[in-house]
Amino acid sequence: MEFQSCFDIIGPIMVGPSSSHTAGVVSIGKFIYELLGDYPQETNIVFYDSFAETYQGHGTDKALLGGLLGMNTDDSQIKYALEKAKECGMQYQFEFENICEYMDHPNTTIVTAKRDDHVVTVGGVSLGGGLSKIFMIDDEMVSIRLSAGDDFSILAKPYQRKEKVLVKAI
Amino acid sequence: MMEIQSMKELIEACEREKKSISEMMLMVEAKKSGRDEDTIIRMMEERLIKMKEAVDSGIKDASTAPSGISGGDAVKMSEYVRQGKSLSGDYISNAMSFSLATSENNARMGVIVATPTAGAAGILPGVLFSLHKNDGTPYKELVKGLFTASMLGLVIANRSFISGAAGGCQAEVGSATAMAAGTIVELKGGTPQQVVNATAIAMKSLLGLVCDPVGGLVEVPCIKRNVIGTSIAFSAADMSLAGVESRIPCDEVIEAMYKVGKDMPRTLRETALGGLAMTETGKEVKERLFCRKS
Repeated sequence: MEFQSCFDIIGPIMVGPSSSHTAGVVSIGKFIYELLGDYPQETNIVFYDSFAETYQGHGTDKALLGGLLGMNTDDSQIKYALEKAKECGMQYQFEFENICEYMDHPNTTIVTAKRDDHVVTVGGVSLGGGLSKIFMIDDEMVSIRLSAGDDFSILAKPYQRKEKVLVKAI
Repeated sequence: MMEIQSMKELIEACEREKKSISEMMLMVEAKKSGRDEDTIIRMMEERLIKMKEAVDSGIKDASTAPSGISGGDAVKMSEYVRQGKSLSGDYISNAMSFSLATSENNARMGVIVATPTAGAAGILPGVLFSLHKNDGTPYKELVKGLFTASMLGLVIANRSFISGAAGGCQAEVGSATAMAAGTIVELKGGTPQQVVNATAIAMKSLLGLVCDPVGGLVEVPCIKRNVIGTSIAFSAADMSLAGVESRIPCDEVIEAMYKVGKDMPRTLRETALGGLAMTETGKEVKERLFCRKS
């Protein structure tokens, strides 16, 4: 039962045009923003399958960068995310692949993001209706459900601490 | 923890508890989320208000979307309806206008409420605000309708899918239309059985519909499919309220939708590699958009 709440069906309140290719992707980006504690200075984004084929029409690139910059799904600034990322000096790169070997779903992305000496690789899947799931953080398979109304800083916290410890250990 | 996993269980639970589907949703949500019912109702009201704002701004906005392939049709449609020329009757005509307004707003990257997705966001507001306009169904009742719709959507989403990428347009516009049909029936006093029946009839009508957005944009043919969805929702609701039954039970229709979606080739599931997206005009649009971007 991936869908739990009436607000998974009626919602999120979001900027268009697509709940799976726009809103759900903002959430994946926002989770990574919370994981790093700020926006990444460098990021490499791989879009798979449907994301790779239709990202331009759906603004999936803007949605992910918007999330990485800390925006929420209903932020009317999302359409300017590419410009905003450049203003912040964020170095970003997109790659496109057909099939993701870690997740069997057409709306999948794997994002590597770097802030100072802190690097994370995060796998996210957008399940439809604005609901997403983080399925991988670095080499660890996880299952973190992201609904637009949730506080992602709380969801990211357990993984954030561990990352910081790892970085310090290095 | 109460889990409702099928339409059959939903009807049984409603009959046992003597509750409507919207009341059942509210009860389940309160139990699961730990929020009190007033808070949940307030959150749903907020969504209805955002839907209304999207309709109000879309209905008078004749501007085109950034793509240049949609926009301006809500203004045309509502003017035509206002002149009394429409053949479809007031309920469907108004729903068509409101649905166009919402979906065009979505294409402009305006604020909308996903119901259950953004691609299908026009249907539910279309029928709800048409009910309000034509028989004065109060906003408070429309909020109840959103709980009915979400209960139906939850069952569909957990047994099948609700996104075009996963199951084609049948999963997206199909699910939204099915939810809207059931919602109309509940708001017009139908029993839970009649609600579910309308849901089944509407979903059957859109079974097999492929997701083939031109240029990968949620515009062509998505916007007009939302509009048509409102008329199917009213037709299915009318049939159910008249006592017409779906010969195939709703849970089996949902199962069929799932299997059809699984059999659907990748080219017809929101990749923009088949159907209308690959027509001569569809390809021209894609080329023009991508050239302009680079």
